[in-house]
Amino acid sequence: MAELAWTPPPAIAPSSTILRSGVPYWLHSYRALIRWHLAGLRMWLSLLASIQILAGAGFVLGIGLFFRHIPATAALFVSTGVPVINLVMIGLILGPQLVADQKLQQSYDFVRALPVPETAAAGAWYTVCLLAGIPAVVVSLVIAEARYGISFTLSPAILPAVLLTAFTGTMIGYGLGHAVPNPTVTRLVTQLFIFAIFGFTPILFPARQLPGWLAAVNWWFPFGHMAVIVRAGLTSGLVHGVGTSYAVVAVWGVIGVVASAWALGRRG
Amino acid sequence: MVASTTRAQTDRMSGDWSFRAEGVTKIYGGTLRANDAITLNVQPGEVYGLLGPNGAGKSTLVKQVIGLLKPTEGRITLGPFDLVADPGAARQLCSYLPQAPMPIDSFRVREVIELTGRIRGGDRAAVRRRAGQLIEALDIGEWATTMGQRLSGGVKRLVGFSMVTVWPGRVVILDEPTNDVDPLRRRLLWDQIRLLGRQGCSVFLVTHNVMEAEKSVDRLAIIANGRLIAEGTPSSLKADDRGHLRLQIMLVPGARTPELPHWISHHVRVGHNLIAAINEVDAAHSIGWAAELIGDGIAEEYALGATTLEDVYIRLTGHVSADDGQQD
Repeated sequence: MAELAWTPPPAIAPSSTILRSGVPYWLHSYRALIRWHLAGLRMWLSLLASIQILAGAGFVLGIGLFFRHIPATAALFVSTGVPVINLVMIGLILGPQLVADQKLQQSYDFVRALPVPETAAAGAWYTVCLLAGIPAVVVSLVIAEARYGISFTLSPAILPAVLLTAFTGTMIGYGLGHAVPNPTVTRLVTQLFIFAIFGFTPILFPARQLPGWLAAVNWWFPFGHMAVIVRAGLTSGLVHGVGTSYAVVAVWGVIGVVASAWALGRRG
Repeated sequence: MVASTTRAQTDRMSGDWSFRAEGVTKIYGGTLRANDAITLNVQPGEVYGLLGPNGAGKSTLVKQVIGLLKPTEGRITLGPFDLVADPGAARQLCSYLPQAPMPIDSFRVREVIELTGRIRGGDRAAVRRRAGQLIEALDIGEWATTMGQRLSGGVKRLVGFSMVTVWPGRVVILDEPTNDVDPLRRRLLWDQIRLLGRQGCSVFLVTHNVMEAEKSVDRLAIIANGRLIAEGTPSSLKADDRGHLRLQIMLVPGARTPELPHWISHHVRVGHNLIAAINEVDAAHSIGWAAELIGDGIAEEYALGATTLEDVYIRLTGHVSADDGQQD
């Protein structure tokens, strides 16, 4: 009998130290959840990566179709802003929508009941969002270089800039998805993000080109600052006040973490 | 504090892994009592049924066990662990199959069972072996490499069961596990549920299908309006109905419920069916009365039989289990 060949796993064998804990537990959960996300998104990841690449390329090339002559600085701003959109799109827009879907389909309870540390779950999702965004960043930059003859000045600062930008975008989305109880509201807010990011935040152009009041509003939000720190890692002498921008982006990352922790710790 | 620590230490040493809920109360919005002072104990190896109509508070109770909800009052412990104070421990110690569909559309069957086993802490080889055994035992091998979105509802349910039991906790909570499962595989599923009990798990079976539960649970609680209104083995719960029979009359479609003779103590109407409990000594009268109804064109047929747990359930809750009929 096959069924009797099963020996009970340690989880149900009497023991006083059966609870998993510490770094091994965290790493095991982190790795298992990355595999869970990659498998669960496999039908979407290649499509998403393609859309990301096309969107990035579209932005970079599209500007050139609007205007016959693109000033070198404008081309540089667009080319160094597109990576920000590539980096935050999955975590900020798709992430909360996936959580909203789980809530709508009522599978949220199963996911919440999985025995994993919350930080490992958030870390795994961040890793997936980061990995899914990077190919599009590279392709966008290569296309920009070819189309506008831009030569980027890569500095080591690009590494923290990319990691922090993706982190903050992902954590805002994570907090939004988990903290907002109504999935429809989550969807509306993500639509608002798309609308605001593409049209009214200084990602693809300098903040000084916005009306003063809108630039002032944007100062309090992370998206323009993400562009500043990424730009600082890709160019030399183009942007200033990078320290402040790092601080604002980091504060928003913390806000996302706190919102997520509050939402996931809440037990109705 | 000292007392509870001492008990925890004793439990750890003695290996007492009883599940205890004591006075669990969940109040929403200050007034709605979804659970009202529920107290129950479940031993390792027991398959314990939680029965009750929709909205009785069964799912609310199990969500407090797994740490998704927090009781307004009361304690929930498993051996030395306080599951209310430590929801992280609750998630490790309990496996939970919710009533809602599982999020498996983008996964292959064997893959998602193994992945969940890994997430639950199983080592790779053991999880693979156990997943293979479950797939074989539940006869879902032909879909082992099929994507979740292509599965029928019943097979999805079996995959969900496999996901939560491939590396089970000490407590396994199954909320309506047999929904949509075909009769043949339903039997295989019950075999696996009982096997979990034999392996030492405490199995909570949440259902409103009393007939199924009667055959499968060791003990059960009936919950209605948030309160635990009866608890015991299926036989002990039926003891009160000893000496009674069940009279079922199928009325002509559209017929009103006829005036009932005085010897019928309680009844329920579900669709065209009138189900009544009668005393054994009234069997002859009842047959005569039912025959009259048929003669008058009010009823089409009748059946008289031994009482079942279903009758106890009807008497206690005023509901018929499987389809939640209303009391007439």
